[in-house]
Amino acid sequence: MNKFESEPILIIKDLWKSFGNLEVLKGINLEVYKAEVIVVIGPSGGGKSTLLRCINHLEKYDRGEIWFQGELVDEKSTDMNKLRTKIGMVFQQFNLFPHLKVIDNLTLAPKVVKKIDENSAREKAEKLLKRVGLVDKMNEYPTKLSGGQQQRVAIARALMMDPVLMLFDEPTSALDPELVGEVLEVMKSLAKEGMTMIVVTHEIGFAREVSDRVVFMDGGVIVEAGPPEQIFKQPQHPRTKEFLRKVL
Amino acid sequence: MIYALEVTIKSLPFLLEGALRTLQITSLAVLLGLIIGTFVGMARLSKHKLLRYPATVYVEFLRGTPLLVQIFIIYFGLPAVGLNIPRYPSGIIALGINSGAYIAEIVRAGIQSIPKGQTEAAKSLGMTYWQTMRYIILPQAFRNILPALGNEFIALTKDSSLVSVIAIRELLRSGQIVISRTYQSFAVYIAVALIYFVMTFIMSRIVRWTEKKVTVS
Repeated sequence: MNKFESEPILIIKDLWKSFGNLEVLKGINLEVYKAEVIVVIGPSGGGKSTLLRCINHLEKYDRGEIWFQGELVDEKSTDMNKLRTKIGMVFQQFNLFPHLKVIDNLTLAPKVVKKIDENSAREKAEKLLKRVGLVDKMNEYPTKLSGGQQQRVAIARALMMDPVLMLFDEPTSALDPELVGEVLEVMKSLAKEGMTMIVVTHEIGFAREVSDRVVFMDGGVIVEAGPPEQIFKQPQHPRTKEFLRKVL
Repeated sequence: MIYALEVTIKSLPFLLEGALRTLQITSLAVLLGLIIGTFVGMARLSKHKLLRYPATVYVEFLRGTPLLVQIFIIYFGLPAVGLNIPRYPSGIIALGINSGAYIAEIVRAGIQSIPKGQTEAAKSLGMTYWQTMRYIILPQAFRNILPALGNEFIALTKDSSLVSVIAIRELLRSGQIVISRTYQSFAVYIAVALIYFVMTFIMSRIVRWTEKKVTVS
């Protein structure tokens, strides 16, 4: 962990969450440092997405604490809307706004939330679209784009708010296999530039290549966590071993 | 027979003036209903009981009582408690409040038809509830409910004939005035019905056309 000296930007302490009788998170502890890339893997229903959604409070948690840059993620003590501008999120289903052109998908939130003027918002949007290789699509409506293109727009849209932390909730799971690569490329370049990222994914290759730390979740707990070479080559826990045997 | 036809044709400009009034009243009422319906529809989906319950009561009460009684309450009832609203505004308010209840249900369904991911994406970008509604949910919802709103407009065009009872000179009332002068009730009422039909027929074509546009995109 010596790459990351300073204070963690995200601290999750003993986080519990249930849906009705179903306990989804059972005491999660996790610290995330600046510029760290964390990949969360594990079987479906293990609580990975719920954990991610608790971090920006799309999901309320029952017990425990989440601290983001010294602020408690809780609607009583913190302005959640303001906090969410610092945490970007990319969804499995992209969730682009279908009634807005690509460019307006990007500029809307900066304009209405941060009151940035039209021109600077557009300028920034074009820069980011160039970055994800889609500047020529800026006047299209999202439905005209392929899944991979939509997801790249979604990433650019999240980046418009200058987030400190990016959450990726199975960003390639809804994509045709041949479109997965282009999205992973964008994520890799982001990681290289030092973006702090938490990625829930089944892309083991991505985890191996890009992540600083792999977190294996199953049954609502973090079973095992560590650098990718350790998790993939010498998993300690039998459940990790079993899961890896299935996916590798 | 020939006389009846003659009378009807002669009174046509007068009837059409009434038809124009009908459209005017209906449009203003739907506009009022749209404003009421949007807020009540949103309140129906609120997580706060203080918003949700009154909205539910509003919708249930207005849909569960006769429009004619509602018109009477506003025009004849309110003056008794010191609130005098002139004839025309009374009619428009009564129709608007009534259609507001129906439109609220349409709006509610429209909002519910937008996938949850849209709200989540907007929230994740830091948008407030109002910003999310204003820029993301309502524009999409209104597109989806355009045909239903059109049908509400058609229904209200017909229902607006009820305000003739408070002597608003819309289409039906105009017909009654013609009849009181000429005694040609059959021919004139048929003419009135036909004018209503032509109006609603044209509207339903327009609705059908928007329906197609909405499903294409």
